[in-house]
Amino acid sequence: MLKYSIRRLLGMIPMLILISIVVFTLAKLMPGDSLSGEIDPNNTNPEYIAEMREKLGYNDPLPVQYFNWITGFVQGDFGKSTKYKRPVFDVIMEKIPNTLFLGIMSLIITYILAFMMGMYSGRKPYTLGDNAIAGINYIMLAIPSFVAAVFAIYFFAFNLNWFPFGGSVDILVETGSAEYYLSRLHHVLLPALVLGAMSTASYTQFLRNDIIENSRKDFVRTARAKGTPIKKIYNVHILRNSIIPLVTFLGFDFAALIGGAIITETIFTYPGIGMLFLDSVNVRDYPTLMALTMLLSFLTLAGNLIADLLYGIVDPRIRLE
Amino acid sequence: MKKNKSLLWLFALILVLSAFLAACGGDDEEATPADTETETETETETEEEGDGAAEGEPQQGGTLVYGIDAPPEGLFSSAFYGIATDAEVIALFDEPLIDYNENLEPVPNVASWETEDNKVFNFTFEEGVKWHNGEELTVNDWVFALETIADPDYDGPRYTNVQTIEGAEAFRAGEADSISGIEVVSDYEITITFDEARVNNLTNLWAYPLPEAAMGDIPVAEMSASEFVITNPIGIGPFKVDKIVQGESVEFSKNEDYWNGDVNLDKIVLRVVDNSSVVGALQNGDIDMISLQPVSGPEVEPLENVEITTYPGLSYYYVGFKLGKFDNATQTISEELPKYQDKQLRQAMMYALNRQEWVDAFFFGYANVVNAPVPSSHWNSADDSELNTYEYDPEKAMELLDEAGYVDTNDDGFREDPNGEEFVVKFSHYATGNPTFESRAQAITQYFEEVGLKSELEMVEVNLYYDMIEKDDPSIETFFGGWGTGADPDPSGLWKSDQLWNYPRYNNPESDQLLDDALNIDIVGTDQDKRAELYIEWQKIVNEDLPMLYIAELEEIVALNKRVGGIEFDVSGQNNPAEWFVTE
Repeated sequence: MLKYSIRRLLGMIPMLILISIVVFTLAKLMPGDSLSGEIDPNNTNPEYIAEMREKLGYNDPLPVQYFNWITGFVQGDFGKSTKYKRPVFDVIMEKIPNTLFLGIMSLIITYILAFMMGMYSGRKPYTLGDNAIAGINYIMLAIPSFVAAVFAIYFFAFNLNWFPFGGSVDILVETGSAEYYLSRLHHVLLPALVLGAMSTASYTQFLRNDIIENSRKDFVRTARAKGTPIKKIYNVHILRNSIIPLVTFLGFDFAALIGGAIITETIFTYPGIGMLFLDSVNVRDYPTLMALTMLLSFLTLAGNLIADLLYGIVDPRIRLE
Repeated sequence: MKKNKSLLWLFALILVLSAFLAACGGDDEEATPADTETETETETETEEEGDGAAEGEPQQGGTLVYGIDAPPEGLFSSAFYGIATDAEVIALFDEPLIDYNENLEPVPNVASWETEDNKVFNFTFEEGVKWHNGEELTVNDWVFALETIADPDYDGPRYTNVQTIEGAEAFRAGEADSISGIEVVSDYEITITFDEARVNNLTNLWAYPLPEAAMGDIPVAEMSASEFVITNPIGIGPFKVDKIVQGESVEFSKNEDYWNGDVNLDKIVLRVVDNSSVVGALQNGDIDMISLQPVSGPEVEPLENVEITTYPGLSYYYVGFKLGKFDNATQTISEELPKYQDKQLRQAMMYALNRQEWVDAFFFGYANVVNAPVPSSHWNSADDSELNTYEYDPEKAMELLDEAGYVDTNDDGFREDPNGEEFVVKFSHYATGNPTFESRAQAITQYFEEVGLKSELEMVEVNLYYDMIEKDDPSIETFFGGWGTGADPDPSGLWKSDQLWNYPRYNNPESDQLLDDALNIDIVGTDQDKRAELYIEWQKIVNEDLPMLYIAELEEIVALNKRVGGIEFDVSGQNNPAEWFVTE
């Protein structure tokens, strides 16, 4: 397996180089640059803009710009954000804790809900309950997240006063105190609920179908013949087998965790990677934009590798050579 | 037992989560009764007073929650910030040496000045003004700010405000160790000499100091990323920054050593609120004040606990015509574009627009029609009585078009140009995520079509849009745009024929001459009335020529919770935050 992992990791290098070229070209193909867009004549003048373009190297030929960027990038220098005027690395690191926290919380909510619904549906397929669960799941999947977010804020934050309407923490509590962490949790729950509860469909249906399929297999019949209680058959024998395919999802979730949720983060003013990413596209903040895209590409590749490795671990029938 | 492990794990997780939930629920129960109490209190108050925001004796203490609807970039330093949102944050903890009154005339704040010839200025600072870190403010902090901005490594946009000081160019080029026009007399006195006498030298000058004691050791290239800009900004204003949560909130507390009177509030909490939550947050009292988008106005108006205040803004919207092409290398208009050269055509298009109706529909009454490109609150703005107001008159528009030879010759319902060719008004508008932009642009094309001018609308992504306008892309013929003007009302930068940002490429020597004269100290001296006369003369010309169709100037809208008092706005912005208070 070690050999396999190394081979995969080495294989990533040319892939990442290709991705970097595509990302760079696409970024530069976007019309305008970080100095174009709406102009406030009180705050800038044409000479400044021309000077900054020169300083930032926007006037160099594209291959030169690419080379300058990639040399810095492989040495760990992600450049300086043109919007925040700070090292991109700092800007990204500042947002990652928020995004990870939101991502993990929403994933946990998704898992819990999907497990409960999936197990119920799998055990009692084609009943009213199963159909209701499927119906709810697909409705949730179909509702755009901004509608759900606005509705959730209106209902839970403004009417019921259960959760704050936005932000990641109450600024008035002391950083690092127990209250601070509770406040963070309190702030993350509503966006996490919106994100988590809305995306249960794939997990639920996957689990349900697998449970149904497994329940018709020989080992289940054997277990029944032995007189094992039905409950135990489902919760232990079948479930353990049905979780295996879900592991593949984990790889995709891995990148999604960091990628953040653009719309939900914006509506909840929850400063995270998603918001940063959208912003960097809008204002043509190339260094941030490209660093984020590279990061997400790498995580997707790594996530897939992890999923493959996990697959080998949970299912001994699969050998990775 | 082993088989049950995963289930157990799941169960434990649910337990942990529900414990958290319970904990949070407990928090809220405590918080809710307090909330409702303050709400009822404010309601009774309004019944007593009737006329809006809390008035009368300022009260001490309390926290005001200040909302903004877009996240700041986090460059909290006067010399380095780039966007208006950051400027809003800075205004709470820092203040300029020279302020502006409601007529946008400079008035002394920390510094007062004397000048005889508008070239050499003697400034005197107040004594005993303290930075938030305890150091005393001296003229050296101002020199530090000016030299930082003139440094070749400086990456902000303010050099234009320092450039006119004598010797700034040489300093920037590295030929001098200091700016020769700056002469420190004592800790509280300084003389600044400009490279020439101008009427607007003072308004153009950069009037914010930087804390030299704190920032002096940081190389200029690294300053914008330093802690005194990002995490721990220092100012001289009535509040100091306690804590910043990047991208979402800032906590300010009272500056006990404030030099200019007492500060009423204990704390200000600045909070970013998404536009979709603004109305709810105002209604619930989660935020006490926020600048509103016009579209939120009608929703906020009916709220009982909130008062809306408006004050004149300094920006205007227009529909521009591309009349020529600009050559950036020679800084001249190199080519004339024939399509919209006919003045009668442009005037007809102006008469065809029902600007009042359009403004009411898309700005909900929070904007006023303008007839010239100078916002009405500037001292040099021409009164409507001196201008052609181009009242909506489609009949007149059609008459003018007939006269100019734009008639329908092939009976397709639309006019052809004087040569009998098809004539299509190609109108461009920028596109962002805002869905109302397309309908407001559509409305403008419909006005044109009503007088028989075939119109075509193109929505262009905003970054590309301004790029195309600036480079005179042939696909841009008529375009929607907006300009903001500052305290200095001189429109030269946007209107003279040698300026890149004269987007219509308006080329009229008479207009150029008037704009030059109004700045020429030999002609106008220091007489503001004389300047105003020239500007009014100029406005009459551009009102007649219409290189752009002036549409409207916006009003700034602020929603204030009725428990807030002491806040006033005029065209120069808000009053000193030290005077703000809240009633509990």
